[in-house]
Amino acid sequence: MKLREIFRFEFMYQIRQVWTWLFFAALLVFSFLMTRDGSLAEALHDDFFVNSPFAIAKTTIAGNLIWLLITAVIAGEAASRDVATRMHPLVYTAPISRLQYLGGRFLATLALNALMLLVVQIGIILGVYLPGMDPEVIGPFRPAAFLTAFAFLSLPNAFIATALQFTIASGAGRPMAAYLGSMILFFMSYILGLILLFNGRQDLANILDPVGVHFILSELSHLWTTTEKNYRLLTLDGIVLTNRMLWSGVAIVFMFIGYFRFQFRHRVLADLGDQLLKMMRIRKGPIHDAELAIIPTDAATRIAAEAEPAFSLSSELRKTGAIAWSSFASSATSWAGIAMLVVIPLMCIPVIIDQMESNGVPLLPTTVQVLTEITTALSSETSRWVIIPLLMIFFAGEVVWKEREAGLGEITDAMPGSEWSVLLGKFFGLTFILIAYLSLTICAGIAAQAILGYDYFEIGLYLTTMFGLQLPEYLLFTLLALAIHVVVNQKYIGHLLAVIAYVMIALAPMFGLEHNLLIFGAGPAWSYTDMRGFGNSVMPWLWFKLYWTAWCLLIAIAAYLLWVRGKETNFSVRLRAGRNRLKGVTRVMCVIAVTLVLSLGAFIFYNTNILNDYQTDGDIKAMRARYEILYGKYAAMDQPRLYGTKLNIDIHPSIAQARIKGVYTLLNKGREPIDTIAISPAHGVQTKVSFSQMSTALVSDDELGFYIYKLEQPLHVNDSIHLMFDVSVEQRGFRENGLDNSIVENGSQFNAANWCPSIGYQRSGELMEVADRREYNLTPRPIIPSLYDSQAIGKYSGGIRFEAIVSTEQEETAVAPGLLHKQWSDNGRSYFHYIADAPIGGEWSIFSAQYATRNSHWYDSAQNRSVAIQIFHHPPHTANLERMTTSINASLAYYTKEFGPYKHGHLTLVEHPGNGTGMHADASMISFSEGFSLWVPSKEGSRSLDLPYAITSHEMAHQWTLPYASVEGAPVMSESLAWYYGLKAVQHSRGESELHRLLGFMRQPYPYPPIRRGEPLLRGLDPYLSYRRGPFALYTLSEYAGDEKVNEALKNLLAKHRIENTPLATTLDLYNELKTVTPDTLQSLLHDLFQVNTYWELRTKRMSVSKTGSRRWRVMLDIEAEKVVDDSTGVETTIPMRDFVEIGIYGEDGNVLYLKKHLVNSGEQQLTIHVNEKPLRARIDPRHLLIDINPDDNIVDAASLQQE
Amino acid sequence: MTLTISNISKTYPNGVQALKNVTLTIPNGMYGLLGPNGAGKSTLMRMLATLQEPDPSPAGQPGSGILLFASGGSSASARTIDVLKEKDEVRKTLGYLPQEFGVYPKAKAEDLLDHFAILKGFSNRKSRQEVVDALLKKTNLWHVRRQRLGGYSGGMRQRFGVAVALLGSPKLLIVDEPTAGLDPAERVRFLNLLSELGESSVVLLSTHIVEDVSELCSRMAIINKGEILLETQPLTAIRDLRGKIWRLIIDRSSLSRIESNHRVISTKLFAGQTVVRVFSPENPGNGFEVAEPDLEDVYFATMAGHISSRPGQMI
Repeated sequence: MKLREIFRFEFMYQIRQVWTWLFFAALLVFSFLMTRDGSLAEALHDDFFVNSPFAIAKTTIAGNLIWLLITAVIAGEAASRDVATRMHPLVYTAPISRLQYLGGRFLATLALNALMLLVVQIGIILGVYLPGMDPEVIGPFRPAAFLTAFAFLSLPNAFIATALQFTIASGAGRPMAAYLGSMILFFMSYILGLILLFNGRQDLANILDPVGVHFILSELSHLWTTTEKNYRLLTLDGIVLTNRMLWSGVAIVFMFIGYFRFQFRHRVLADLGDQLLKMMRIRKGPIHDAELAIIPTDAATRIAAEAEPAFSLSSELRKTGAIAWSSFASSATSWAGIAMLVVIPLMCIPVIIDQMESNGVPLLPTTVQVLTEITTALSSETSRWVIIPLLMIFFAGEVVWKEREAGLGEITDAMPGSEWSVLLGKFFGLTFILIAYLSLTICAGIAAQAILGYDYFEIGLYLTTMFGLQLPEYLLFTLLALAIHVVVNQKYIGHLLAVIAYVMIALAPMFGLEHNLLIFGAGPAWSYTDMRGFGNSVMPWLWFKLYWTAWCLLIAIAAYLLWVRGKETNFSVRLRAGRNRLKGVTRVMCVIAVTLVLSLGAFIFYNTNILNDYQTDGDIKAMRARYEILYGKYAAMDQPRLYGTKLNIDIHPSIAQARIKGVYTLLNKGREPIDTIAISPAHGVQTKVSFSQMSTALVSDDELGFYIYKLEQPLHVNDSIHLMFDVSVEQRGFRENGLDNSIVENGSQFNAANWCPSIGYQRSGELMEVADRREYNLTPRPIIPSLYDSQAIGKYSGGIRFEAIVSTEQEETAVAPGLLHKQWSDNGRSYFHYIADAPIGGEWSIFSAQYATRNSHWYDSAQNRSVAIQIFHHPPHTANLERMTTSINASLAYYTKEFGPYKHGHLTLVEHPGNGTGMHADASMISFSEGFSLWVPSKEGSRSLDLPYAITSHEMAHQWTLPYASVEGAPVMSESLAWYYGLKAVQHSRGESELHRLLGFMRQPYPYPPIRRGEPLLRGLDPYLSYRRGPFALYTLSEYAGDEKVNEALKNLLAKHRIENTPLATTLDLYNELKTVTPDTLQSLLHDLFQVNTYWELRTKRMSVSKTGSRRWRVMLDIEAEKVVDDSTGVETTIPMRDFVEIGIYGEDGNVLYLKKHLVNSGEQQLTIHVNEKPLRARIDPRHLLIDINPDDNIVDAASLQQE
Repeated sequence: MTLTISNISKTYPNGVQALKNVTLTIPNGMYGLLGPNGAGKSTLMRMLATLQEPDPSPAGQPGSGILLFASGGSSASARTIDVLKEKDEVRKTLGYLPQEFGVYPKAKAEDLLDHFAILKGFSNRKSRQEVVDALLKKTNLWHVRRQRLGGYSGGMRQRFGVAVALLGSPKLLIVDEPTAGLDPAERVRFLNLLSELGESSVVLLSTHIVEDVSELCSRMAIINKGEILLETQPLTAIRDLRGKIWRLIIDRSSLSRIESNHRVISTKLFAGQTVVRVFSPENPGNGFEVAEPDLEDVYFATMAGHISSRPGQMI
């Protein structure tokens, strides 16, 4: 009864508060917008329903995160309102039990929180069913989809969060302390989870995430097929069940702690220091008041007390300083301050150390690499640093309310001085926190570098980046948060609105804001690399930040005018007071701020929208649609083929300009003469074209970029014609997303083909996504044609003959595909003439920087010629040159022997700016980011993987890439084959154990987590299939059938398709070649690997050993096997198994005693094996040749030895 | 230094009229503002302390306002400050001790007082140190200056508030119900402290405890329901009542009869019996004996409406 009354009173009290309703409203609007925008975008991309169980679960999780960040105060109020309002003596002395009191309050909070999360579901329903949603993407209404999301995700989340928030707030006696609970959960699910995810610990992230970001969003996103995403309901099993059980358990533990710690007792203030003294058993004496004494009134006291204070600018400044210091001190010593200034910087050290690797291989911890870990744009919502703005919102609320909460508001308000010094004092206090935080983060970075044994600390770069670039990013938002708290003048609502402001910044496109001029504090990103430094990235960044600083000035003035001083909180009175304050310097500042906002805004707008084309997503879609509607009919028009190209490229890095004068040789390889040629010039550059004979323009569309010329003389079959063009590349002002960094000093890199005109109508210019096409009444087109669409398979053109003269500024070296034929200087510029000695593809990568070069040769005995290998690199980046050269030589040797000749007499490797570790291959050219040079694998001969070596081998394998058709399975043709080549090259040059390290690396779930269901390998498009499953399948086949068979098949395949005018290769051709070489016994394995998604569930159950002779043991193995096929809709079928599986027996020190293939059938069976040494363990399929969902149960230790 | 308050009214958004056309003149010295809980004392005090705004004066009415005439020793410092408009000028010479205030529990007295001294405008470190030390001694907090304020007793906390209010030797000192909740000894100490200041400043003390005023103030006003009922000097008021206060010791049971026949201003229990005091310009008979009036009688008689400084309301 009492419990019910406590529940009722609490529930009714809180539901009457304004903020409770604002929370409801915020959650409703957020989940509505999220459904309309987020889920819709996903649905349109993946083609699933906006009201599919998966989409609902996703939006539910997003709503839960927002709920966590804004509503903690509900639990905070329930748990600590009595203490905070000092009403607790009345309540604590009432005849109620702890259980009734805490239970009633807790249940009321839980009910309110559950209600709030129910609102998220209502928001989704409204988002789906209110007018404005495309009916095509709405599936059947299934109440269960909403109910399961609410019951399995929201309800447990409400329980977990309420328990934590309630316990913490009740312990602290302050409602705002409940946010600590929210922050911890947010940190666990979002930030820690992100860190774990990047480390490939999805499993751990799934368990440790209390909200569902990981075990729902990332886990199901890739595990479920599209069909499952549409129809499958969320069930409470597997990881979902484990996670929910674990966290509910944690919540219950917290509730117990809260229950037992709570006492109906007077609260004595004791801080950390006091508790420490108490623990050390040092007793502080009680505070004794003075005896009733006569007030001393000696002359000195009187005179000093009557000293007049001075009122001047300096005293105002001193006052500002004092407020800043006290704001800083009180924030820094609070729990949030300790989190920000101690916990986070300390955590930074292991995180940075951990991140100083890429794909498991250590990276040199250069300052740039460390900085990429500790800097972020404010609006980057997927960064682990989202915690910083959230903490700043909290601090802003604390400092604004500091005096008033302590009950000192009236005294301080009656002190002389301007509101400016108070406002600025508080802002500077927050600034000090940020400065302290950034300084400590720098220390953490340096400490991490030192621990990793790296000692080149670029302090200047640290300071410039953290204080010049990162601090302003945070400061702008901090001022906004402060101003919101000041203007709103209610702590909880201020907090809510500030979080909403942050969400709007981070998810601006969801709210319809795209242009950086409209998103608070936003601007183009800056970047820094060793090669190009900041390049041209800071200037546009700075203009935008100046613009937002002007806004901040205006916001600060608004906060000043509306600053509450005294008891008058009525808004009209505050407005009146504000009007009175708007005078003198403030009025002048106001005019200056408005002028700055307008002039900077106008200047930026002039740059982004007038000098440059600013296009929203919608604009771009409309253009693409019009391109297809107007010119799609020319797609089938016969066009000549690009036979060869000669380019004259002038690069001007210092002024970010380039000019390309080129000549195309166009050849008619069709069956009819051609008299009209369509040309699509590149977007964003100025192009002039002319033909080697007279022509007239039939279509000339400057806006969409499409031209058709009629030739005076038709181009006869096998005749050619020259197309001359002149392309100017220059930047006018800066764009909304900053400046293009293709052409910068010491780091120009571009694909010239992207700026040169294309021949014919370009299908790549069409709209892709189903819903976009539907919107413009275009028939749907598949993203890529079916494997079985023979129409889509073209013929091999034989490549393009390429030649380029590239000039650049004197001190730089220009690089282009081909062999450097000639090099000269003229008129202060350097010229480089490159000629490719064999046709290359459609990518013409050009680079210019101050390179160092490393030249070597490899002798090609088959063709009796030498291949010139040239590596262009940033001079200090020399760590991996030797390793790359070795890998290249080994690859050339193995690939030419096994698969066919290398086509060129030259090979170029070139480094380009960028902090990634990526490598990219074109014909005769491999380029790599700076990060690749920072890879420091352990020395050769050690037990760790030499990944840069393997990647170089893989990229080298692309030199043998088949001309393949752009249909389903295309990535398998390209990447799977190149990785199989790479595996074999590593095996042959570095040995079996290095191969197994590489395979072990590839079996890790990061960066490509395994997908169980979906398309079979032959139709594979996904990176997991092409980079992992494909190479595994080929490797398995090579282990079963012998690698000479597989290599022979691949060699034949290449030989057949490298011929001009033969149809392009598909996975079916690959499959047929493999089929030819595979013995009959293994045909079913080939089918299992390529045609369907097959999984083997193999298990070793028991191993019993008996000694049969002096050096003879008999092993009895109980094994179990099953074979399962998953189709693309997610249906799983068990099929009978009769396959050869390897069985391994291992002795002392893991010595292999036995390794042979046995025929294994479905079900349980026993094998008897004799060995000559004492066997200790046995393993089925020890080399992971067959794909096993759970390989951990493959291994078993011997049961105790039986003597016979 | 004189403070004049003219025609000030204040209506809260919930309709409560806290002040009705208040007009007062407060000269140098201690001035007591006496009234029951909810009379509007604190509202008036906060207005003087620049923390609250009066209602705008209606059109056609005589102008409302609060003016502070500073008539310092030299003519240069003689000037008039409009309290409602020149808030910052007021604040420079204001000391304010609100009715309720808190402290940062983890701060030390010395540090927090130093902080307030900076806020008050003492930017010179040395003179600030002197002022802080002097005030800590003066308020008898010197020996506990390094202790945290969270451990202070109510009286110590109140004295700390006085120390803050006395920073910068204010010419206008507003103390709102400072003695509520203090023990008798603490109260005496506190009042001594205040009396010292009344010499050169306007000290406005609001209280509902009659003794505070009778012991300290040379002038006083009685306020109830937002209206100033009486503006007087305690001694004069007491003198004026002489011969008009009568007392009788009665049984509890006969109280209602007495109340219906006489203008009872107060009843008190004394040794188990009820002492009734009535207001009557003539001898009320019935065994009443004349009593020596005190300030409490002035207060109760005023509250009961028997005396007033308002013209035409004198009975």
